Amino acid sequence: MSTILEQKCPCCGGAVEFNTGAQKLKCPYCDTEFDITAMPEDTSNQVEQINWNSQGTQWGAGETDGMSVYACNSCGGEIVADTTTGATTCPYCGNQVVMKGQFSGALKPDLVIPFKLDKKAAKEALKKHISTKKFVPKSFLTDNRLEEIKGVYVPHWLFTCDAIGNANYKAKKVKTWSDENYEYTETSYFDIYRSGNIGFDNIPVDGSTKMPDDLMESVEPFDLSQAVDFNTAYLAGYLADKYDVTAEESMPRANERIRQSIIDSFKETVKGYDDVENQSANMNIANGIYKYALYPVWLLNTKWNGENFTFAMNGQTGKFVGNIPTDKKAVTKASLLLGAGIGAVIYGLMWLIELL
Amino acid sequence: MTKKIFATLVAVIICFSAVISASAYTREYVIDYADKLASSEIEELDLFAEKLESAYGVSVLFCITEGTGDVTADEFSSGTYSDYTDNENGLIIVHDDWKKTYFSFVSGNADEYFSNAAIDSMIDAYDLNESYYGGIYACYELAEEYLENGYSGGYVNDSEPLNNDTDAKGASEEKDGVSIIWLPVSLLIGLLVGFLIINGIASKNKSVKMQKNATVYTRPGSMIITGSADNFLYNNIDRTEKPKQTEKK
Repeated sequence: MSTILEQKCPCCGGAVEFNTGAQKLKCPYCDTEFDITAMPEDTSNQVEQINWNSQGTQWGAGETDGMSVYACNSCGGEIVADTTTGATTCPYCGNQVVMKGQFSGALKPDLVIPFKLDKKAAKEALKKHISTKKFVPKSFLTDNRLEEIKGVYVPHWLFTCDAIGNANYKAKKVKTWSDENYEYTETSYFDIYRSGNIGFDNIPVDGSTKMPDDLMESVEPFDLSQAVDFNTAYLAGYLADKYDVTAEESMPRANERIRQSIIDSFKETVKGYDDVENQSANMNIANGIYKYALYPVWLLNTKWNGENFTFAMNGQTGKFVGNIPTDKKAVTKASLLLGAGIGAVIYGLMWLIELL
Repeated sequence: MTKKIFATLVAVIICFSAVISASAYTREYVIDYADKLASSEIEELDLFAEKLESAYGVSVLFCITEGTGDVTADEFSSGTYSDYTDNENGLIIVHDDWKKTYFSFVSGNADEYFSNAAIDSMIDAYDLNESYYGGIYACYELAEEYLENGYSGGYVNDSEPLNNDTDAKGASEEKDGVSIIWLPVSLLIGLLVGFLIINGIASKNKSVKMQKNATVYTRPGSMIITGSADNFLYNNIDRTEKPKQTEKK
């Protein structure tokens, strides 16, 4: 069995949690607060080992691949998690546990952004998110059930570099004039070239295959100035995963975003044209470095009509995202109503203009 | 509640359309005493003539008859004209299919558009066509050409200059509403706009998407442009004819 770490209260022995309001560890039993730095990073000498032998059938070869088993230090319960789980909750006693091995040595994150917003804020944000949307099916508003809400530290790779690039654009200018009988339109076409350098700091790329990439990019940006050096104490009370997508595997996505940034930023320097369209772009990366960080995200799962809906909230800024189903009948009805109204107004105006 | 609003709106639109339809009747411009044309052909020719009247303020009538009865040709043509239109500016060409003769009557300022030579050309165009419908259609096409030339300050085919001010005034005085054809067109435009607006609102229900770029992570002040060139390639000039003005001066 692997070893796990629990943050225990020195006063009463209860399992402490990270408190987002105080930005400290807090014991929910005796309300004692502790600074993160006051807690020992490794308390393995206090860990009590309790091992049980199974009398049932044994796992077959390969059946436990992708699975890790831990023993809870508080109740001795067996915690089964996948190989990337870095922090979770004991299903028997509810204690928050951190799998030490997932964040040690080369796997240790460089930075962590602590949660600033709590579970209550995430629930309220979900309510607000749904209530402000239009054409949501009525039954979704009434029957939609919140199945699960969890705070997760999601592993991210942060890429910093200097990009040297060039881009070609096709631009056009349109000039119109008229005489007594004709209207003239002159369209002039230009080939535009721009080259230059742009520096990028800490472009995040999701390092977990468990998290949908589009959901993680939708809750961006995070304020990295509030990031702190990694300490397992920040994970208390939350779920956490170690990365299972390597930095090398994440680089193509970072490159793709850098390339598009070069195209868009250089395009802004092309002025005085009516239309500018990119034709090609090239780039080279210099001084590229990457870091490993954990970003705080609240994940909320709801169920409606047998379908699961996942919402995410940036645990630092509160940015909330998630797709909501649309009532197609309501959309069609509203389109017809509005369309008929606009059509009648247009026709009425034509009459008015004609009669005046 | 929504159903009630929907029903009320539909009812209002239907009533609105019905009132407008009732007032936007098609007038008769082709009078077929000789029974040579099908009703669908007459309807089509009437629409053509109505279009001319809406655009230029001049009525162009065509009558096929078999004899003029007890009245003279001039009395027949002027009488038929006044029976079928209140427009003081206009022209009627009468074809007596029994006597195989043609005569015409010009009213108001229509003589500034249609000279004798122009009317002869229109009769020739009619006469040369094998069918009655095709002949009248060709005649109306020529009429449109003369009206268009006169209205834009050109010259009719016998080189008589036209007075634009008079034409424009005449054209604007005889408006009798927007054609019913524009109702479905308006509704179609409305539906398209409504569809775009509503779908734009509904699309906001989707908030999960990949980021397009990394511009938000650009180091402040780090962008330096080292090379820049704007090269002209070529140009095109398109010329389109101006639509004719039909509004009042």
